[in-house]
Amino acid sequence: MYWLKIPFRFLRSEVLALPTRVIAVLFVAVLLLFPFMTQDTYLLRVVVLTAIFTIYAVSWDVLSGYAGQISLGHALFFGVGAYTTALLNLRLGLPQHAAIPLGALAATAAGILVAIPCLRLRKHHLALATLAFPLMLTGLVFMFPGLTGGELGITRIARLATSRLVEYYAVVGVMLAAVGVLWKLMSSRIGLIFHALREDEVVVRALGINAVRYKLLAFVLSGFTAGIAGALYAHVIRVAGPSNLDLFMSFQPVIWTIFGGAATIYGPVTGVFVLYPALEYLRAIPAYRMLVFALLVLVILRFMPEGIGTWVRERLEVNCPHCRLRNAFTRRTCRACRTELAS
Amino acid sequence: MRTLVCFLALVLTAFGGVAASDVIRIGVVGPMTAMQGQHHWHGAVMAAEEINQAGGIVAGERSYTIELIQVDSNEMVSVTDAVSAVERVVGRVHFLVGGFRTEAVMAMTEVAVEHGVPFLIAGAAADALLAGRVDADYDEYKYLFRVAPVRSSDLAKLSILLLIDVVQRFREDLGIAVPRVAVVAERLEWADPLVRQVEQLIAAPPPQGLGAEWVGTWRPSARAESVSSELTAVERADAHIIYTALSGPVGVPFGRDWGRLEVPAAAVGINVEAQSDKWLDATGGFGAYAATADIYAREVAVTERAIPFVEGFIDRVGELPLYTAATYDGLYILKAAVERAGTLAVDAVVGALEETDHVGTIGRMVFDEKHDLIWGPQYVTGLGVQWLDGEALAFWPKNWRPDPVNLPDFEFGYPGAVPYQIPPWVLEHWAPEND
Amino acid sequence: MGRPVILLMLAEILVNGLVLTGVYAMLALGFSLVFGVGRVLNLAHTAFFMLASYGIFYFVGQETGMALAVLASAGVVVVVGLVLYKLFIEPVRDMEATVLIAALATAVLLQELMLLYFGDRYLFVPAAFPGYTRILGVRVGNQEIATLGLAVLSLVGTWLLLARTRLGLAIRAAAQDREVANLMGINVGRVTAMVMALGLLLAALAGAAVAPLRTVGPHMWMHPLVIVLAAVVLGGLGSLKGSLIGAVVLAFAEVIMVVAVPGGAFLRTAVALAIMLGVFLLRPHGLFGSGVAEEG
Repeated sequence: MYWLKIPFRFLRSEVLALPTRVIAVLFVAVLLLFPFMTQDTYLLRVVVLTAIFTIYAVSWDVLSGYAGQISLGHALFFGVGAYTTALLNLRLGLPQHAAIPLGALAATAAGILVAIPCLRLRKHHLALATLAFPLMLTGLVFMFPGLTGGELGITRIARLATSRLVEYYAVVGVMLAAVGVLWKLMSSRIGLIFHALREDEVVVRALGINAVRYKLLAFVLSGFTAGIAGALYAHVIRVAGPSNLDLFMSFQPVIWTIFGGAATIYGPVTGVFVLYPALEYLRAIPAYRMLVFALLVLVILRFMPEGIGTWVRERLEVNCPHCRLRNAFTRRTCRACRTELAS
Repeated sequence: MRTLVCFLALVLTAFGGVAASDVIRIGVVGPMTAMQGQHHWHGAVMAAEEINQAGGIVAGERSYTIELIQVDSNEMVSVTDAVSAVERVVGRVHFLVGGFRTEAVMAMTEVAVEHGVPFLIAGAAADALLAGRVDADYDEYKYLFRVAPVRSSDLAKLSILLLIDVVQRFREDLGIAVPRVAVVAERLEWADPLVRQVEQLIAAPPPQGLGAEWVGTWRPSARAESVSSELTAVERADAHIIYTALSGPVGVPFGRDWGRLEVPAAAVGINVEAQSDKWLDATGGFGAYAATADIYAREVAVTERAIPFVEGFIDRVGELPLYTAATYDGLYILKAAVERAGTLAVDAVVGALEETDHVGTIGRMVFDEKHDLIWGPQYVTGLGVQWLDGEALAFWPKNWRPDPVNLPDFEFGYPGAVPYQIPPWVLEHWAPEND
Repeated sequence: MGRPVILLMLAEILVNGLVLTGVYAMLALGFSLVFGVGRVLNLAHTAFFMLASYGIFYFVGQETGMALAVLASAGVVVVVGLVLYKLFIEPVRDMEATVLIAALATAVLLQELMLLYFGDRYLFVPAAFPGYTRILGVRVGNQEIATLGLAVLSLVGTWLLLARTRLGLAIRAAAQDREVANLMGINVGRVTAMVMALGLLLAALAGAAVAPLRTVGPHMWMHPLVIVLAAVVLGGLGSLKGSLIGAVVLAFAEVIMVVAVPGGAFLRTAVALAIMLGVFLLRPHGLFGSGVAEEG
């Protein structure tokens, strides 16, 4: 009985005390229980794709949101992950659980390759230089059709799992793990340095921190995560083709992350889980689908320029002016130090 | 337990979703905001209306009416979208027809075979959509068939025959014994074997080869927006003829710059954009005299069903059908197969589809062991069309001798074909007094 | 045929390279100006070029004549652009990443509106200067020559405006330091709007000059956007001279690629982008970029 009390107390003091944590826990619970509510393969597939794109968007948030290295060519990592895992699976017969991490490693290598010329570039120059990489890789894809299949892509890749249910839990599991790990990392010293890098690189260097090493780390982390997303995608869709390297693919994580709230980790998660299903829902009006989508993004950003996730969080919680602890908006006094909360 | 849940789900989708009434649901898949998808849809609607009016599909004791479901794949923009779109309907339909962009069709057919829903491809030509799938793993991929266009390796044969026709025209009209041919082919995988083959054949002596001279190959991107640099280079190479292999948007700037700069070389081969009735609008009229392989043209009696279909389609939609409108034949093929099978059981229908011998609007349609159309005289041949007087008119096959060695007297052609014309500025440039 | 092939090739590179330079410069100029002054990375710039192309197509269809069509569509583009800027970009302009996405969403919005109204098919915008001329034995469309001329004119005009007028002074002041300019009594918000209008006007002119040479369709903004970004970055962000040089480099890289390696013509964009990256390795701020302006 006593041992039951500990988690219960934790739940009451650490989870129920904050609305956003309640939402997060509910979200994870619904995600894990979703297959018990419906077996519709379409709905499962939508959630699977949403989860994959969440991994992808979070990877963008780490590099561009936190570390401020804005990447407009993120499709490079996604595409390298997809193509590598597809080639390894098809040509060398590697099983999925071996091919996917290797695909992610290849994407990491791509991240380092991109980082080397880009480390010296600032802000917009960096953004526009990164834009070039996936387009150049597309050129290579068409140059070696024997290896890459040209416009057809690499096909007949093994399914991620034998059943849709296993596929669902595999992808959602990887997503939760990736988001969790990155969340922890970004709350740690590394995340703090990333924040500082974005705000003022000179100060970071003045503090004796090796800025180059941390930038490289951001590229590595982001490349690896985006690579996982690309590799999972290839096994789910079963084609790794040039569309993975499209401009469209590069812009998507930017849209999702900014929409949800950059440099927060929960922002891109919110962004994808709102926008991707919304786009599916808009299939009801096919002709106006993208139009409504664009308007939705514009209007939301107009009134919540820091993203919908950040906006909601600011409405639900206030920081205690004294001890900086977060409190639910309903409280009059801080839950730790009893300081009066300004309304 | 999990297997049980999955099984129940399968049973539910199989019975709960579909067998409620005597309706056959067919999903028409295509990029519905684009012309290609529109033609997928209109072709299917025409066939469905005709079949339903004539009493529907009779299988065994029961008769069914066709109900079409529009599946907007948005495949030009996003392959992910295309896959989700198919996934969304796959539990509710008996059959799927359509598809356009190769990569997307590849991904969409994976969903269809996973659910065991027959998919009749009408719009993507790559051999590898069927070859390496149906023949290599029959049990998994037996659900896939192609009704249009002819596969790209046959399209290659067809386009080379058109080139031969034009080379012959240069010999007869201008007395140029060894015309020089330049190749302009977009850099896509489907065009690679074609380029290799045509480069060899151009210089090879007749009857296998063309006995012409090859002066170079240019490979622009399928999405290039200007090819004037390529065209000036072709002119520098002194080419009489440009052989084109263009399926992407690049076909439009090619036609426009070619006519606008009056590049003195006749263009023939494959240019998918030139198959559209909007070709002259898109090129501002500069695309006149361009010639391309195609499957539909006005006033050519490919079969007795061709002219009624093409005219009916023009009445309904206001323009010549694209090859994606072959969903029309697809529906008739499905009807015949279901009636032969006498049931909607998928395996039986697939078996019946393999027995197909259907006189459609593009020729006699028979599937080979890869579930692809058999190409050749008296099967499906395709057409060569040229833009003359504001219309795409067929110039091939006309007096075609498919096998001049063994059957020197056998000539093949469709009633209504007109002779090929060398573009006037090309004619003027190479006329004997100028040379 | 009398001249050696190598000379012909050189002529081809020179002529086609210059012509393509005109096209790219025309597209890059407005973008560069808006970034230099407004500090807005306007990813919707080529979408306004698209809007102008459709505008010209529409007004020519109404039989207004070419000159009037250009004027009318320029008017539409400037008004629509300013409204969208005021509505969606200006309120968020302090947040760089949000501006990026707002601009992108604006581009998609315009694309979808065109798609709804005109449908997903290719349209032809007639050239103001039809026909072609032979220069050094190379066929060149008159429209291309006009485009090059117009690009030079726009460049000179913009330069004169910046260097010789009071507005130009205000613009340059705002570009150098927004806060100080504000303190000096310059209405920075209005200057930015003026520059925005100027950029939109240049996009509309590009629509008239370049659209007849490009395929007009709802997705026509994407590829030029890449080229514009590459040209602008290559030359140095915010430098007008730089973006012209960037256009020259990219255009000649592409043309040389086509002439030298016919089988690799499809790689022309990829090679141009690789050159851009190469320049970055040597000069992280581009050819004419200044490190200082970036910090602002």
